[in-house]
Amino acid sequence: MEINLRFSLLLMSLLFLIAIPSLASIPLRDSLGISPQDESYYKAGVIKCKDGSKKFSRDLLNDEFCDCPDGTDEPGTSACPEGKFYCQNSGHAPLVVFSSRVNDGICDCCDGSDEYDGKVNCSNTCWEAGKVARDKLKKKIATYQDGLIMRNKEVEKAKLAIAKDEEELSKLTNEEKSLRELVGKLKEQKERIEKAENEEKLKKELEEKRLKEEAEKQAAKEKESIEASLQVESKDANEKVPEASTEVGEKGKKTEVQHEGASYDEHNEVLSRESPAQKFAKMTRNEDEETKPGNAEDKLEHAQMAEQVSDDSSANGADAMHSEGQEHGSASTGGFSKEELGRLVASRWTGEKSAEKDENPKDESQKVHTDDVAEPAEEEENYDSYNSDTEDDRYKYKDHGDEHKYDDEYDGDSDEEYSNDHADTADAADSYKSDDEYKSDHSEDTSTHGGLSWIDKIQQTVQRVLQSFNFFKTPVDLSEASRIKKEYDDLNSKLSKIQSRIHHLKEKNKHDFGNNKQFYSFYDQCFEYKENKYVYKVCPFKKATQNEGHSSTQLGRWDKFEDSYRTMVFANGDHCWNGPDRSLKVRLRCGLKNEVADVDEPSRCEYVAVLSTPAMCAEEKLKELKQKLADMNSSQQASHDEL
Amino acid sequence: MIRSSPVATMSPPPLPPLSTILLFSLLLTSPVSAWKKEEFRDCNQTPFCKRARTRAPHSIPSLSVSSLSLSDGAVSARLLPSQLLQSPTDSTSASPRALTLRLSVYTPGALRLEIDEDYSDPDAPSHRRFRVPDVLLPDVDDRHKLYLPRISSASPGVTSFYLPYGFEAVVEHEPFQIEVRRASNKEPILSFNSHGLFDFEQLRTNKSDGEDWEERFRSHTDTRPRGPQSISFDVSFHGADFVYGIPEHASTSLSLRPTRGPDVDFSEPYRLFNLDVFEFLHDSPFGLYGSIPFMLSHGTKSSSGFFWLNAAEMQIDVLAPGWDDPANPSPNRIDTLWMAEAGVVDAFFFVGPETKDVLGQYLSLTGTPAMPQHFAVGYHQCRWNYRDEEDVDSVDAGFDSHDIPYDVLWLDIEHTDGKRYFTWDKTLFPDPVGMQKRLAAKGRHMVTIVDPHVKRDDSFFLHKEATEKGYYVKDASGRDFDGWCWPGSSSYPDMLNPEIREWWSEKFLFANYKGSTPSLHIWNDMNEPSVFNGPELTMPRDAVHYGDVEHRELHNAYGYYFHMASSIGVVKRGEGKDRPFVLSRAFFAGTQRYGAIWTGDNSADWDHLRSSVPMILTLGLTGMTFSGADVGGFFGNPEPELLVRWYQLGAFYPFFRGHAHLDTKRREPWLFGEKNTALIREAVHVRYSLLPYFYTLFREASTSGLPIMRPLWLEFPQDKETFNNGEAFMVGPALLVQGVYQEGEKSVSVYLPGTESWYYLRNGVTYAGGRSHKMEVFEDGIPTFQKAGTIIPRKDRFRRSSTQMVNDPYTLVIALNSSKSAEGELYMDDGKSFEYEEGAFMHRQFVFSDNKLVSTNKGRTNLSKKKFYSECLVERVILLGLSANAKKAVIEPGNHEVDIELGPLSLRAGSSPVALTIRKPNVHVADDWTISIL
Repeated sequence: MEINLRFSLLLMSLLFLIAIPSLASIPLRDSLGISPQDESYYKAGVIKCKDGSKKFSRDLLNDEFCDCPDGTDEPGTSACPEGKFYCQNSGHAPLVVFSSRVNDGICDCCDGSDEYDGKVNCSNTCWEAGKVARDKLKKKIATYQDGLIMRNKEVEKAKLAIAKDEEELSKLTNEEKSLRELVGKLKEQKERIEKAENEEKLKKELEEKRLKEEAEKQAAKEKESIEASLQVESKDANEKVPEASTEVGEKGKKTEVQHEGASYDEHNEVLSRESPAQKFAKMTRNEDEETKPGNAEDKLEHAQMAEQVSDDSSANGADAMHSEGQEHGSASTGGFSKEELGRLVASRWTGEKSAEKDENPKDESQKVHTDDVAEPAEEEENYDSYNSDTEDDRYKYKDHGDEHKYDDEYDGDSDEEYSNDHADTADAADSYKSDDEYKSDHSEDTSTHGGLSWIDKIQQTVQRVLQSFNFFKTPVDLSEASRIKKEYDDLNSKLSKIQSRIHHLKEKNKHDFGNNKQFYSFYDQCFEYKENKYVYKVCPFKKATQNEGHSSTQLGRWDKFEDSYRTMVFANGDHCWNGPDRSLKVRLRCGLKNEVADVDEPSRCEYVAVLSTPAMCAEEKLKELKQKLADMNSSQQASHDEL
Repeated sequence: MIRSSPVATMSPPPLPPLSTILLFSLLLTSPVSAWKKEEFRDCNQTPFCKRARTRAPHSIPSLSVSSLSLSDGAVSARLLPSQLLQSPTDSTSASPRALTLRLSVYTPGALRLEIDEDYSDPDAPSHRRFRVPDVLLPDVDDRHKLYLPRISSASPGVTSFYLPYGFEAVVEHEPFQIEVRRASNKEPILSFNSHGLFDFEQLRTNKSDGEDWEERFRSHTDTRPRGPQSISFDVSFHGADFVYGIPEHASTSLSLRPTRGPDVDFSEPYRLFNLDVFEFLHDSPFGLYGSIPFMLSHGTKSSSGFFWLNAAEMQIDVLAPGWDDPANPSPNRIDTLWMAEAGVVDAFFFVGPETKDVLGQYLSLTGTPAMPQHFAVGYHQCRWNYRDEEDVDSVDAGFDSHDIPYDVLWLDIEHTDGKRYFTWDKTLFPDPVGMQKRLAAKGRHMVTIVDPHVKRDDSFFLHKEATEKGYYVKDASGRDFDGWCWPGSSSYPDMLNPEIREWWSEKFLFANYKGSTPSLHIWNDMNEPSVFNGPELTMPRDAVHYGDVEHRELHNAYGYYFHMASSIGVVKRGEGKDRPFVLSRAFFAGTQRYGAIWTGDNSADWDHLRSSVPMILTLGLTGMTFSGADVGGFFGNPEPELLVRWYQLGAFYPFFRGHAHLDTKRREPWLFGEKNTALIREAVHVRYSLLPYFYTLFREASTSGLPIMRPLWLEFPQDKETFNNGEAFMVGPALLVQGVYQEGEKSVSVYLPGTESWYYLRNGVTYAGGRSHKMEVFEDGIPTFQKAGTIIPRKDRFRRSSTQMVNDPYTLVIALNSSKSAEGELYMDDGKSFEYEEGAFMHRQFVFSDNKLVSTNKGRTNLSKKKFYSECLVERVILLGLSANAKKAVIEPGNHEVDIELGPLSLRAGSSPVALTIRKPNVHVADDWTISIL
């Protein structure tokens, strides 16, 4: 049956091809370029311009003179710039083209109906094109059908997961509340203990001081004469030591700084223009070495100055460079070889472009180095993220409580707090990573034992500890005090973990997962795409990066969905030299797998990727496609009927 | 500035400590402004300029004319210091040698002055000073030189002789001075050395004691083996209100502002020295990419011009009245001081008397602008860089899907294999022929870049050949000059040598330029030449060219020769059939014969939009009619409003191209939302509908030299209000365009010159001439007016590119003047070949008077060997200023009636019928016919 059908289609198509010449006759003026929906509109004797500006009699329809500025009267000619021409394209899908395409010598409609003035012969390609299009559409529909099932599953899953999240959140909120109370109590006790301890300590110190002073007075009297001479010497020595160490330090730094020549500022400027130039230099180096080994090498010695220094591999290089700088004198271009200067100037137009585009082993090694440092640090931050709050608290506590007593410590503390703040910011931004870690970590603590919830148990423990402590006992019972402190620290840490988890869940819930939560599962996923030497990593709701070896460039942080969930936007990525901050738009389309394809950079530092995902296989779209196929089939039928 | 702040340029990932230090120093001192003043010499750092500029009038020993005689139809004489003549015994051993002076007369109205060393003098050095070859037309002497039959000496020490148009030249012998004046009333027009500032440093072979000929600038040393050899002199323009010309400078003023004198803030002189200036300022006398040492003066009484054919660095002061004597400022005279580093005096005085005459006189010597192919008059889409074939296809498709016409897609340097011109990046452009064919199938063209720097790579055929043949410019030590440009280490073909130009031109043959097709044309950039590590980013002055010519002597013409060779090459490849299109950045007098230029690397800001108009007008006044500024601004990202305004203005530039820097955001016309897409489409449509008018103007330029984009005063030479108007301009004789140069502008004041009225093309309303009008500004276009008494041919159907418009019918827009008449013309040819030179063109004259429109032939078809005929019809005649009761018109021959009805001025949705329109006269545009209004 099916074979039969196919055979007959083939036969039809052959017949159709043969029939083309007879179809290419000049069509009727009255129907030219008019879509079937509009046919009745043009039936009247007097026709209105669609914009209402004017009326025209039927004989002015398609008379090659534009009467309606909106093109109503010339659907079939090029007379009106704003006109639209409808081609029926039997065998394929109808098409509406700009009237500027009519009789312009270029075949736009597959049925050739847009070229009827005889100047060009357009063959009818609708049958073949239509078949290709239908096949493509069928495939697409199949994908949508399968994808839709997957999508629905995901949507279900997402709903459950979201409910679970909400449940967890409400549970955690309660726990947090109880725990906070306990921690408060413990903190109070802890503070009292510490106060008592401090008082004791102070007393003790005063006593010791008094005893010491007395002893010293005694001794001083005895050694007065000897000390006078000793003091002079030691003073000298003290002054010499720091001086010496400075010298050592400067020597160490010399390779970095001294080559810059007499004027630091001047050289700064030079360097500032140099860096991109250096990159440019690196780019062309390989070629140079091939073409002109001797000469190129000679020149490169100068050109590599920044590289060598930054590489911190070759002190000799830096030295050579240093002497080079002196040779050239201190003019504002001093220190440059001709080649460096050329590169420098070229870099004004090109920026980093050249370095980014071209392979650059040196640069890479630099980046690797960077990443080795950066990545563990990032992980650490994540591990610490529960603790950071605690630490922060501790510092704050100290600040508030002891500020006046320990004035000299204040500076140090505030510095630390400052750096901690920084860590916190980073943590907050990266907190999404902590999700799984939280689960594994927290589950031990929060799992329930023997009927009692963990929080009940803790409550009991705290009660016990608090009761057993006697505040009126001096000196403070050390073991009891440390128990309280320990308990406080433990609980406080637990509290931060819970708070962090709550924060995390709330942050997650804030995200827009789509009108059917179809993108929920993206939250914990990253999608990778390899292109040449780059690996692109797209983590929805988080960030997108371009990785090359161990180096990573951020293309953007999650911003939003756009274009009614058809595009994901990552914005404010790493800055581009002389360009915008990097950004990435991910166009979503229906597919059976979550898969990134086709990362592109159409505009400098503005990336575009395509992600196919079942989440995009929406039912409405499927219906639309089916309708389109039905239309195509019916028009195909129509063309058969014509035959 | 538009560049991002230097701090922001440093991006993660974090760097190792040592490089961090380096980069930090980078952060601290990156300059805020990108204009690097310190990299360029100012007058004080330029010894010849400093010397000449600080001289007081008549402070140097004067010169005397001796042995004046008439020989071979020209005047020749010797110039010697006056005191030497009076007491020759006083002469010391270092006495100056005599100079030779030659004066000759050219039609249609020029006096030529040549002053050079006397090489017959036994003490003269063997080296000859450089005279720029190949700039004056090769047959200029045959065609334009007048044989002077006699000279007269009415009084002793004064010689005078005839100049055309009732002028005469007067030579005063002691002190030496030349004046061009009206013969009838002895009124002076131009004078030379009337302030005694003429100075000529003669070539020497020996340095005097302790003299150092070397010049140092920054890290560069110029060996100057021939010592100081500068020339300076004063030229006065009498009866002048303003002077114009001497491009290329960025300026918001059309006239040349004084650079010295009372009430003038300190200014550098105008510098003519072709330089690749990174992010140039929008208003500065600093020299840019090209030089045309031609100045025009204009006043209500007369216009005149002065051209110094010299390719060395030039500095020109425009002196404010009273500069020489603050107590007695002389009105109606503008004095100028001309200074050049080397060369000879080979100068032309143009007598006018009208500016159009001055232009014609100048172009009779240097040649009228080349007639471009029709496609080149359309819109060009460029970007540094369309990355690959896919990108090209998608941009091309973008224009189609948004129904925006364009004719040319451009590829910048990245399309090449490692900046080796004439090659393709094989990964990005694997099939350049296929790509060009896809464009050509839609009637579109492609332009690729070919720069003069040749990558020093032995595997590169061009470098190999040039090295083997010894075709590169040499450095001071005689080796191939090695400078830095895009490809890195590069050398530069010596384009002064005709043999090398010949060799270069053959590189464009299809067989040699692999991957090129007939639809491919060429772009010459960086031909100042730009040398990144050279002094002032160009070639050292002591580099040596063909014929032992130092680079200092021909610098300003290097780009010209390069452009010439490329342009000849593009002609050659098509067996001489097709007109070439070659865009150049550098230019010199004569460049107009070889192609178009653009104003270089401007910036995406309103000031640059504004200064583009005076810049292009100035270029037009100096013969360089086919020019334009990058629409949108090369550097930076224009706000959509600026971009739209730039398209609206750029649509009237003779050369209309959008271009953008590599680092900018994409800005194809459809990337700024539907509204802006529509606005840009409309702007481009305006250009395309006016293509017949533009092409006719290109024809006029190529015959008479009149610019396409004209200062108002060129059309209204008596209207003083217009003399310094650099905001509005005429396109041809009929259209007046007022730019909008400010963000959010609600209204502009438009001065409409003349006594006739003007039709506002937005709604057909008439506005009186001779006064300013406050016009409301709309977002859909800038104010445009048609002068009463003119006829503009249009094509109102829009296609993908101009190619498909060939057969489309015309619309004639007739704007009647107070006597209900108007006239206009239309030129058309095959749009691509040279057959028009043999008469294969159509040139119609349209005259409307007595209620009758008559079309007659304006061309000299009877002389034609070849014919051209257009099948196009006239589909519509729009009549502005005709009383509204006309209903019918009769067409002859044929005696058939057609309707007249009220129609819109442009066919856009929502446009209302405002003008009488003759509906479908359907006469053949190429035929003679008459349409009479009944």
